Amino acid sequence: MSKAGMLYIDSDTLFHRMDGAAKLIVLAVWTVVVFLFQDIRIFVPLFLIGIIMLLSAKLPWKRIRLLVWLMIVFNIFNSLFTLAITPAYGSEVSGSTTVILDLGYNVLTLETVVYVLTLSMKYMSLMPITVLFIYTTHPTRLASSLNRVGVPYKVAYAFSIAFRYIPDMQAEFRNISNAMQARGLGFGKGEGTLSQRLKHFVSIAIPLVQSSLHRIETISNAMDLRGFGKHSKRTWYSATVWHREDYIVIVTSLIVLIAAIAWRVQGYGTFWYPY
Amino acid sequence: MKEPLISFRDFSFQYRSLSEPTLKQINLDIYPGEKILIAGPSGSGKSTLAHCINGLIPFTYSGTLSGEYSLRGQRPADLSIFEISRSVGTILQDQDGQFIGLSVGEDVAFAFENDCMAPADMKPKVTHALDIVDMLPLHDQSPHELSGGQKQRVSLAGVLSMEADILLFDEPLANLDPASGKHAMELMEEIHRQTEKTIIIIEHRVEDVLEQPVDRVVIMAEGRIVKVGTPDEILSSSIMREHGLREPLYVSALKYAGCDLLPKDKPSSLAQVSASPVVKERLAVWADSAEPASKSAPHPPLIEMEDVRFSYDGEREIIRGVSLAIGIGERVALLGNNGAGKSTLSHLLTGIAKPNAGVIRLQGEPINSWSIRRRGEHIGYVMQNPNHMITQPMIWDEVALGLRVRGLSEDEVKTRVEETLRICGLYGYREWPVSALSYGQKKRVTIASILVMEPKLMILDEPTAGQDYKHYTEFMSFISHLADSGMSFLFITHDMHLALEYTERAAVLCNGELIAVGDTAHVLTDTDAIAQANLKETSLGALSRLTGVSAPEAFVRHFIVQEKKVNHHE
Repeated sequence: MSKAGMLYIDSDTLFHRMDGAAKLIVLAVWTVVVFLFQDIRIFVPLFLIGIIMLLSAKLPWKRIRLLVWLMIVFNIFNSLFTLAITPAYGSEVSGSTTVILDLGYNVLTLETVVYVLTLSMKYMSLMPITVLFIYTTHPTRLASSLNRVGVPYKVAYAFSIAFRYIPDMQAEFRNISNAMQARGLGFGKGEGTLSQRLKHFVSIAIPLVQSSLHRIETISNAMDLRGFGKHSKRTWYSATVWHREDYIVIVTSLIVLIAAIAWRVQGYGTFWYPY
Repeated sequence: MKEPLISFRDFSFQYRSLSEPTLKQINLDIYPGEKILIAGPSGSGKSTLAHCINGLIPFTYSGTLSGEYSLRGQRPADLSIFEISRSVGTILQDQDGQFIGLSVGEDVAFAFENDCMAPADMKPKVTHALDIVDMLPLHDQSPHELSGGQKQRVSLAGVLSMEADILLFDEPLANLDPASGKHAMELMEEIHRQTEKTIIIIEHRVEDVLEQPVDRVVIMAEGRIVKVGTPDEILSSSIMREHGLREPLYVSALKYAGCDLLPKDKPSSLAQVSASPVVKERLAVWADSAEPASKSAPHPPLIEMEDVRFSYDGEREIIRGVSLAIGIGERVALLGNNGAGKSTLSHLLTGIAKPNAGVIRLQGEPINSWSIRRRGEHIGYVMQNPNHMITQPMIWDEVALGLRVRGLSEDEVKTRVEETLRICGLYGYREWPVSALSYGQKKRVTIASILVMEPKLMILDEPTAGQDYKHYTEFMSFISHLADSGMSFLFITHDMHLALEYTERAAVLCNGELIAVGDTAHVLTDTDAIAQANLKETSLGALSRLTGVSAPEAFVRHFIVQEKKVNHHE
């Protein structure tokens, strides 16, 4: 996390310049398309296009690697569990059965291996675009975009406010836990049993909640005094103007979406099994 | 006479959850273009009065109102809080909490956004407002990169941009270091002169506010207005002392010297009052009556820091070769502005941070490698805000917490907790829940919870922040009492008054280096060190310099002796 506690990484690439709402539409279309199909021949190109887009945003690997690894590890576990729990599921979907291993409680079929591979490619094809969206969209700009696509502004603003106070809460948590340690409460490994340490963590919650309540009172007073909630609408200082690029991207996304739906309706893109 | 902007007639207010009214029979008129200071001890109702002016009462805090209150001839209850905020711009006390946006520019634009102004129209207005408060170059910064004083200026810009013609400052000096506080008061005066806006300042630190011109001072106590007058009238009277407010130090000194101050002597201006020959004569007699300073015996060292260095990132050093010793039973003040490295230095002592170079010794033994917990048995640390330290619902359990964690028998815990509660004057409350206590009492509970562990040194971070003079004096004499029993204290503070009256030695930290260490009266009259550290000289030093009656150091020392006598009698 950056000093400001935001995931946003400032830079000046096409994706940084794009309006948050446009990006949100691309993300939505991308997700819908991915979930319409079950064909690895679609997912692999999508994944590659996503990777190229991600590279073009020039995000420093050091900052994004945690999220990327998290997604990959989650995906691997998901695949392994699918293989272990429903090793013959792929056969149900494809209608053919090619046993490659007898597991005792069930058999592992080649169809399932292909199915799991397809499934994980499906998730992986969503990864680059999600990372791109999270790291190139400033929280307030995202809030203003959410508002533009129909989310009530009070809900959208709550989102932005959360980002504002996360770092303060982190600092407060550190301060409180330091003071507690000085009084002899252990939080780390080897400083008491697991249940004791857990209890100590819970005890920090009391002052943390107390100060959060106080903070909420201050913020809501400050917001009231400056006219928040006066009208049913509001404008956004950080709202971006829609450029030609944004329109091109949105129109392209919508064409892709319509084409994808039409294709799917004709029966293409169901689970593809090569053998 | 002009029509008053704000007018209270026999106005009273009672919060719904309280059994007594907080404001009683308020009568006050505020005229356009006035600059008014509303002063009073905690609980005097001054913040409640501010809430009535800006509309938080009755729109956010409900209760019973009686009497008349009008804003521009209209009853606020007939308006909405938004309409009121168009006339009254409020700068709240909590500089961080009221910063809403994720960047400086965004925060200033907040009111425009809520007013549905087109983004293109906002930008020039935001730029203009930021320019007035000198914050334009920082318009893209996030709140976490700004100091308290800078955040306050952003809030001021936000309010200025709304073009409200009344500016209401609720305790603007709380949490600001002396230099930022002085800067804030100067900025307010500049805006007052240029825009002729009506300015209302709620504050108990009267001396700092009165350094700039103020038209009228309103003194509140126990929910009533007890006096309204010009600064000269208020300072010539004894009304502030009577109601537990701290007079400017130089005014107290003049009164000790037996000067009969009259409004025509202009006591609100240090320069004018000290030019009077009568005043000079009286002061000279008083200063001559000083007893020679008695040298106290040197204390054997408890903690020694030797050439300690520290940096978070290995590049920029925060602490640059600090050597400081704290003696057994000694009270030391660590002074310095925000960002000077005061908290980092205390973290190095408590073990939260480990030095990159240098040695820290406890009674001769190096403790660099000791953990926070191990050091905690010898060095206690009390945070500024008691609410950040208290984790147990009951007072008894809170004080017993540290001992129970150490695994002491319940019998021993009982004896030690009881004894500590007696020392701290909390024995009568031992069965009470913490939530029933006042801020000052909670502060005592946190001291008790550390004291019970019998540390050799107690570090207090801004011990008197947010407390008025009466509670401050009570609290500090309690601490002095503890120090007399042989415990050492390190006060981390930018409160010069506190250092002057309650510590023997002071160390001034500036950019991670100690630039002055020594006898407190000596250090605090060292104008070079004070200027370099961006602190503020006390008005006592300035008074002795301007009148030339005696050396500032001796003068200050004489004042403290006198002050202690008076406080002792009260």
